[in-house]
Amino acid sequence: MALSQEDVRAIADYARIGLDEEELRAMTVYMNEAVAMLQPIIDLEVEEVEPTFHPIGSLVNVMRADEPREGLRLDDALENAHATEGRSFRVPSILGGGGLS
Amino acid sequence: MKSLEEVLRDWEAVIGLEVHTELTTLTTKMFCGCELSHADEPNAHVCPVCLGLPGALPVPNREAIRSIVKAGLATGCEIEKRSMFYRKHYFYPDMAKNFQTTQGPVAFCMHGRLDLGVRGQGASELPDGAAAERAGDGSVPVTRGEDGYEVPIRILRIHMEEDAAKMNHLGGAEGRITEAAESLIDYNRCGTPLIELVTEPDLRTPEEARLFMEKLRRIFLTIGISDCSLESGSMRCDGNVSLRRKGETELGTKTELKNINSFKSLHDGLEYEIRRQAEVLEEGGTVRQETRHFEPGRKRTVVMRVKETADDYRLFPDPDLAPFDLSDGFIESCRAELPELPDAKRDRYMAAWGLRAEDAETLAGEPALAAFFEAAVAAGEPAHAQATANLVLNGVMGFWNAEGAGPAESPVSPEQVASLAALVAADAVTSAQAREVLPICAETGDDPAKIVDERGMRQVTDDDALLPVVEAVLARCPDQVRQYREGNVKVIGFLVGQCMRESKGKGNPKRFNELLRERLS
Amino acid sequence: MSLLDELSARQIASGVQAGEFSAEEVCRASLDAIASRDAELHACLQVLEELALAKARELDRDRAAGRALPPLAGVPLAVKDNMNLIGSRTTCGSRMLEDYESPYTATCVQRMLDAGCLPIAKTNMDEFAFGSSTETSHFGKTANPWDAERVPGGSSGGSAAAVAAGEVTLALGSDTGGSIRQPAAFCGVVGLKPTYGAVSRYGVVAFGSSLDQVGPFGRRVEDVALAMNALLGEGHDPMDATSQDCPVDFLEHLEDPVEGLRVGIIADFIDAEGLSGEVRSAVLGAAEALADQGAELVDVSLPNVADSISAYYVIGPCEAFSNLARFDGVRYGYQEPGCATLAEQSAKSRAHGFGAEAKRRQMLGAYLLSSGVYERYYHKAQKARTLITKSYERAFEEVDVLLLPSSPRTAFKFGEISDPTQMYLSDMFTISSNIAGNGSVSVPLGLGEDSGLPVAVQLQGPAFKDRRLLTFARAVERGFEAEGRVAPAFAGKGGEL
Repeated sequence: MALSQEDVRAIADYARIGLDEEELRAMTVYMNEAVAMLQPIIDLEVEEVEPTFHPIGSLVNVMRADEPREGLRLDDALENAHATEGRSFRVPSILGGGGLS
Repeated sequence: MKSLEEVLRDWEAVIGLEVHTELTTLTTKMFCGCELSHADEPNAHVCPVCLGLPGALPVPNREAIRSIVKAGLATGCEIEKRSMFYRKHYFYPDMAKNFQTTQGPVAFCMHGRLDLGVRGQGASELPDGAAAERAGDGSVPVTRGEDGYEVPIRILRIHMEEDAAKMNHLGGAEGRITEAAESLIDYNRCGTPLIELVTEPDLRTPEEARLFMEKLRRIFLTIGISDCSLESGSMRCDGNVSLRRKGETELGTKTELKNINSFKSLHDGLEYEIRRQAEVLEEGGTVRQETRHFEPGRKRTVVMRVKETADDYRLFPDPDLAPFDLSDGFIESCRAELPELPDAKRDRYMAAWGLRAEDAETLAGEPALAAFFEAAVAAGEPAHAQATANLVLNGVMGFWNAEGAGPAESPVSPEQVASLAALVAADAVTSAQAREVLPICAETGDDPAKIVDERGMRQVTDDDALLPVVEAVLARCPDQVRQYREGNVKVIGFLVGQCMRESKGKGNPKRFNELLRERLS
Repeated sequence: MSLLDELSARQIASGVQAGEFSAEEVCRASLDAIASRDAELHACLQVLEELALAKARELDRDRAAGRALPPLAGVPLAVKDNMNLIGSRTTCGSRMLEDYESPYTATCVQRMLDAGCLPIAKTNMDEFAFGSSTETSHFGKTANPWDAERVPGGSSGGSAAAVAAGEVTLALGSDTGGSIRQPAAFCGVVGLKPTYGAVSRYGVVAFGSSLDQVGPFGRRVEDVALAMNALLGEGHDPMDATSQDCPVDFLEHLEDPVEGLRVGIIADFIDAEGLSGEVRSAVLGAAEALADQGAELVDVSLPNVADSISAYYVIGPCEAFSNLARFDGVRYGYQEPGCATLAEQSAKSRAHGFGAEAKRRQMLGAYLLSSGVYERYYHKAQKARTLITKSYERAFEEVDVLLLPSSPRTAFKFGEISDPTQMYLSDMFTISSNIAGNGSVSVPLGLGEDSGLPVAVQLQGPAFKDRRLLTFARAVERGFEAEGRVAPAFAGKGGEL
């Protein structure tokens, strides 16, 4: 099941990676090559096997105490942002809404 | 549009709720040590973790995990020992990492339930012919009683996640996002521990939804995990609602209702949405799957976002967070910290003191109120518990509201309330007089009995004193006496009023009434 | 008078403690070596003269005040540019973070500083660690110190090259699929990828969160052991929920004999397609050296490990997509000017801030995580991970360590491998221990008989047995007398003490 250029465009839109037509063509070639390389995973017979999401052995229940820790000063928090206003980060118009629904 | 009553004669409304509750009683955020804040200046409580700076890693707050386990235990959920955090990806700057850390298919709490008692006016929203069972497997039976009905509402899950930042949209009308020229982001709230409770679609009327939320709020307040303010947004509710013809089993297309910041909005928003969907469907249209925004001022819902395809959030287990395998000891230590829950407290008030169910429910719902009430009962006679309840619910709470106070910082003491309730129970003062005495109690700190006596407010209940008054009034009002004897019993009210005037307000109206009837029979 | 690049970490620290030379003199020698060598090498993206001198003077003041100095006092350290250090930029080799200054310091860097290291430089790397040659850096290539026409390996190519060329004594790298061990092999230095969870990842810009591990480079196994003591000394890091306690004194058993211990040889790897003859014979030579010291060679097999590459190219891109989602130009990083909407700003900032490979990996990850696809790839790859881990566990029931190549070949020329999926095969011997999480180390064996370039062997041990891994590494090092060697084109150029 090869990925079409339109499939790849939809992924790029979702991942917020702007691609021009030329880049899109090249990306589509790459995506299909890379996915083909992953065939051994598709072929694996692992019905009965539990997945290992964390290579940390038996480490579980890692938690911290509910105690405050000093955070960042405002200047440090905003220092690397290109657009700020007062104490806030600033972003341009959010057309079409968004966020968690 | 048709009325709700008309719509629900033909249609069944299927309602599910998603309730987000911030764990405001904790000190720090979900995955970092920043202090929780609502009111502070923007970005006063941020760190590399909650700002999503490169290289920062999350570490879960143990108390937040304890809180959600308590929430699960208090709502009859099974506590899943083994669960994980997942990442839910969406590109929006209110979540600094462009993903939200939440849970996957297995939440800390699964499959709980809350029993609703729907009584009085609200019970009539459910039409007589409504299905007696809602799940198709016997798990959601409706039990009708004298004054309403009982129904268990299933909870699908409660999971742990982190809250988003606050966005302030500038340049558009009413701060509406679609018109804003730019938006400002304040990450203070970003990373606040949040639990999301999702019900099964077991609710059938706006009243049930409202009652469910109220009950849930009472439980969460009682177990002390949040301040549960709908107004400030520390407790938020989205309602999913769809309609289907009565008797159908297939679900219709649902809409999601947002911006609900009061119990009334929840009720009214759902009511509007049910009526709107019925109109669309009855005109042969189809309901679109969309998110709608409730406008309380205009009592209507408007489209926020149309969902054409299901969102694909690229959910996968968060590799930065170790999985959970909660021990029995951990879960039991959470259970041990649970206080008496509202339902148990209500039942105790009814069993021990014979309180009316509704009064018991209300008093048991707010921990501080319940504590105040219990202190007042303890300071007086158990036999006066109902009188105390009446006084608290119909007098003291109004006084608190007027004073901007509450049970925790009450200007009247439980002892004063106990003493006042005893006076009411003994017919020494009327309920109306008792309300007048409250501010004096607060001001002077005196015992109500002393206040009542000093101000001559104590009512006369002694028949020897009252009878001459009754005789005098009867003698003075032959017309009314005749009317009464001819069958116009309502005229008794006039005669009681005359007795009160004659006694300068000190005679007990109840006793006057009784004596008048005796004389006239 | 001596040359800084001839000294071990221990010699530098004891020299500073004894007053043979000051930390500031060591610092200036290292800065001088960089000044003389790095124009040709381009291992360093930033030279942190002020920070390093300040640290050196602090040590000298402490010494003057009679205080005992920490174990790595005055040892020059280079840090891969994906690790945060207050007062420096963290570029990740990317235009995206060209100007980014972190307001906090990574735990691993802080622990090295606490142990007395001088933060001399931030080093070049493949963009966001995506690569095996350091060619994808936005800031230009780094030369292999042994042959300027060849790559130093990657992604921690700058750190490996800086150590191999004698600019610094120690360097930190990060290894997601071989990014410490492969450049260590190409540059002829020791490079350790500790067990996942041993070293804190807090403050290290994430690539694949379940694969990434920080580790040290050195010209001697002993230097690497000292660095591990510094990295693990305070135990697990409360800021990293996946970090765990590990034994601390790596020097204690370093010189232990390997007599009677069992070394596993995997025939499938020795005969692997694409393995060059000289690397093959070097690996066999290392086995012989261990056998000469009394170790027993045992044939073992590692079933399922062949699936590591495909599992890696599922897990890595998925986690990378997720970890790099935060780079949208709002809070930090490259921001496209003049955009009318947020969506346009995000898409263009990411399009122009990231290089080609970073975009490819994120695109692949975004696809593999999508609904319906996730189950067939990511979920299954994590099941493959279970099998690979079990495969290792079974092997380590039979042997104490596994001996295998670090890289299928010696350093290749710039531009020689241009097809990204071909480049992915550079990691064929290293990836499996990132999948399983166990520790592994690349140890130099001198120069290859055909190419004249550094060849190396890789040792892999059981999880959290990294200390014993270094005991074997030291035994190999003894057998080859490759320790302390600086690439001849750079040895002694500047850096007099």
